[in-house]
Amino acid sequence: MALEDFRADAMRCTRCAYCKWIPFDHVKSWRYAKGCPSIEYGKFHSYSAGGRLVTALSLMDGRSTVTPKVQDSVFKCLMCGLCDVSCKLCRYDMEPLAAMSELRATLVADGHGPEQVLPVLEGLRDDFNMLQQPREHRGDWAKDLGLKDLSREQAPCAFFAGCRYAFDGELGHVARASVRILKQAGLDFGIMGEQESCCGGRAFSMGHREDMGTRASQNLAAWKKAGVKTIITPCSDCYATFKRLYPAHAGSGIQVLHMVEIVDQLIRDGKLKFTRTVDLKVTYHDPCHLGRQGEPFVPWNGVEKKIFGQAVAYDPPRPRYNGAFGIYDAPRNILKAIPGIELVEMERIREFAWCCGAGGGCRETYPEFSRFTAGERLDEAQSTGAEAIVSACPWCERNFLDATADGPVKLEVLDIIALVERAL
Amino acid sequence: MEISRDAYRAIEDIVGVDNITDDPAFLDSYAFQWLAELVRPDYSHYMPRPWAVVLPASTEEVQAIHRVCNKYGVKIKPISTGWYHWAAPMKDNEPTLQIDLRRMDKIIEIDEKNMVAVVEPYVTCAQLQAEIMKLGLNLNIIGAGCSTSIVASASTYFGAGPSSYYMGNNSDNLLGQEWVTPAGDIVLTGSLSSGCGWFCGEGPGPSLRGITRGNMGSRGGLGTYTKCAIKLAPWYGPAVLEPQGPPPAYRLPIPENTRVYTLGAPDWDAFAECYLNIYDNEIGYIFHRQFNLAGADLAPALWLTYMRPEGTMNDVETASKNPEMQKLAEQARISFQLILHCRSVEETRLQEKILEAVLARTGCYKIERLCEQDFAEFSNMYLQRLGHKHCNFIWAGGYMGSWMQAGIPDFVKNYAPVAIDGFYRDQKRDDYLVQCGGDALMGCGSSIAGGGYFGFEQFVSYDPHCQESVKACIKHMDDAIQDERDHGIPLGKEYIYLMIGWTDERIWSDFAKMPQTFVLHFQRKIKAAFDPNELGDRNYPWLPIGMGQPQAIAAD
Repeated sequence: MALEDFRADAMRCTRCAYCKWIPFDHVKSWRYAKGCPSIEYGKFHSYSAGGRLVTALSLMDGRSTVTPKVQDSVFKCLMCGLCDVSCKLCRYDMEPLAAMSELRATLVADGHGPEQVLPVLEGLRDDFNMLQQPREHRGDWAKDLGLKDLSREQAPCAFFAGCRYAFDGELGHVARASVRILKQAGLDFGIMGEQESCCGGRAFSMGHREDMGTRASQNLAAWKKAGVKTIITPCSDCYATFKRLYPAHAGSGIQVLHMVEIVDQLIRDGKLKFTRTVDLKVTYHDPCHLGRQGEPFVPWNGVEKKIFGQAVAYDPPRPRYNGAFGIYDAPRNILKAIPGIELVEMERIREFAWCCGAGGGCRETYPEFSRFTAGERLDEAQSTGAEAIVSACPWCERNFLDATADGPVKLEVLDIIALVERAL
Repeated sequence: MEISRDAYRAIEDIVGVDNITDDPAFLDSYAFQWLAELVRPDYSHYMPRPWAVVLPASTEEVQAIHRVCNKYGVKIKPISTGWYHWAAPMKDNEPTLQIDLRRMDKIIEIDEKNMVAVVEPYVTCAQLQAEIMKLGLNLNIIGAGCSTSIVASASTYFGAGPSSYYMGNNSDNLLGQEWVTPAGDIVLTGSLSSGCGWFCGEGPGPSLRGITRGNMGSRGGLGTYTKCAIKLAPWYGPAVLEPQGPPPAYRLPIPENTRVYTLGAPDWDAFAECYLNIYDNEIGYIFHRQFNLAGADLAPALWLTYMRPEGTMNDVETASKNPEMQKLAEQARISFQLILHCRSVEETRLQEKILEAVLARTGCYKIERLCEQDFAEFSNMYLQRLGHKHCNFIWAGGYMGSWMQAGIPDFVKNYAPVAIDGFYRDQKRDDYLVQCGGDALMGCGSSIAGGGYFGFEQFVSYDPHCQESVKACIKHMDDAIQDERDHGIPLGKEYIYLMIGWTDERIWSDFAKMPQTFVLHFQRKIKAAFDPNELGDRNYPWLPIGMGQPQAIAAD
């Protein structure tokens, strides 16, 4: 795709502003009605999906140029996709998230990307991870666990920890808990260890698509060599990358599962039984990449066509990603199954959840904005009366942990797998 | 015209450097507006680019900004939630400051006992409704939907919606107002001006409703409205709406005291009779002709596909060819939605009986498929919250509303066939309008408080990305005006849309031929008093001295 391919989206945008709000049917209060962190922080219309579509049009038509303000408005966006859900509530002919992604990639290609991400990208290119850590330590979290090393051995399943769980010492226990559960379930799986490479999803969302392509090629080749048919990950960023971006990039036929899907199934099959009570009132934060951006990929290579004279349709029919088929119930089923856990919901959940603030490269590029977004979510979590906010993505958890460390809201931040292990 | 940088710096001093911009791409995001392509040279999607955009946070900041604009000769154009080409600057050669009110987004007060809420301009109907439902209250959400600003609909536009029938228009529901005149004075209206609170628009104190808004509202053409009080209505439903199901067609469970119907009529006479009977018997909470916006030929195929989360527009095409669907389309050709929502289950049952009697008497009927639980719950959600109004653009991204003259049922039933025939003719001329049947008339059951008077808007869907389609829409607008003239029907919405692209002289020439031009001369005097430097634009209409009749009144 090229930016020009989104001209029709831009010209058909009606400036209705739905992209700024959660789906209106679900508005339950004044406080938590807003859906787009970017416009809440940046305030000018250019910080919304609709505004960015106009920016794209204005740039394509030579009405304006890329100024520092334009760069700020394009990249100060978490790429969380809330706008995409809200827009598509009423439209079949708009792809705001894809258009914004294309605008980013175009600016990056033209040398207008933010410089703050460059050290991170250098780390990715040199050490294959997003945390600027030496690659030889990538497998350290799994030392002494006796896992198959898929760089030398074969297995049908690969456990993929992802950069954050592999290198973030405070969160590494989640990866260890995950593999203990998988082992207990008797699954034949292994890990790539230090040969594991970042999924590349975060680089993609920053507009650096080639980096994602390189990572995808490397990972897919390694999995193929090891005979891997299924990838299991506790990281939602990796999950969405494998599930949506890899097939689009290289036609991957690998099955992709998030740990919550496995655990939910194990519970339902009676293969995972809880023996301990966890007396805790929790609220669940839907990661964008597990929920609305975690829908299954459907290949499509079609063109627009007109029906009924001017109504916009596609030949063949274009798959509709509107958040309806993300992973929402599995984590909730798990929480409800843990003895002692009381799940209380926030107002903005499932396909219209407020983002944690870590996405789109904003954690690296605009830390204040990232912190603001996390703070808003923690405030909402606290309003439920919960003692802990639980999620299923290490990037969400890291952002919340940082925000609780120096912010006004003091909540326990927990990974759902860690909570499961607490109850086993 | 070049404006001194001093003006920019003076405004920057008021709001801070982060709350003003003149970055060209940022300005374009305000110039780009729905309907612009219908009125601008070369079918451009851009209205004139603002000179700058500012984000004030308070009434005092708005006042200070107005004063700077008076000093430097910069026009002003406030925008809140923002929709329509007339929300943008009007003329290319008039430097205009776009005042984006999104930072003024607070609910100031909810007076539960007196059923009044006070809000700032960026509070949406959805937000206020969510808060007041917790108190057993509701508000009229305008036809454009719950994404809209309450201040905008109450203070500066018409304010009709599906619940106007029960709750009144927001133009009626407007109580006290806080208004920063173009000259930079803060004016308080009604009881507010006497220090008695917001509860009454008419006093004690000056009732300026006729000045600040009149019938149509000033649409941002006469200063900035910074707060208003809105009259609320009773709500007998749950404190919090809990929609069910996946997107896009969320469903709202129907409680025992509520009934949701899609009703059909065999002809327009029966429709009018049914309307009058429902109105006379004072039943109903929401009365709206909603789903016909998709066109009578295609509406059932569209909405039943829309209810499936994986459904695509291609599926609508397939569904529309299904004989059963075509039968349903015929059944629903003249249809509308009615929601009964009552204080008690007993009252609901009574209203239900009355409705049955009305249907029996008028020959109207329940459309079975569209009254089934799934569609009824979807309709309930759609109409109680009005959170899917962007579906107005569902076919191709562009819609323009023609007709929409309001009147008594006999007036509406007489113009509806004219509007339908004209639209059908225009659709068949070529393939550049969405071919949805000539009847895409949609509208609420009331254009004044309490009903008995209403109108329908013809939903003309076109593709803004296709210039031929844009031209076809403009041609339809011209044709609709001609149809109206040929049938002695007052001009409709298409006319006020097209006017935005005309010169002052052309508008004045037309206005001068209209009845009751004294209103426009009176408005000229109002403008002179409150906007001496002409900072507002022609969305607040007036006539120059000497134009129009009667001359005696026109003279100063």
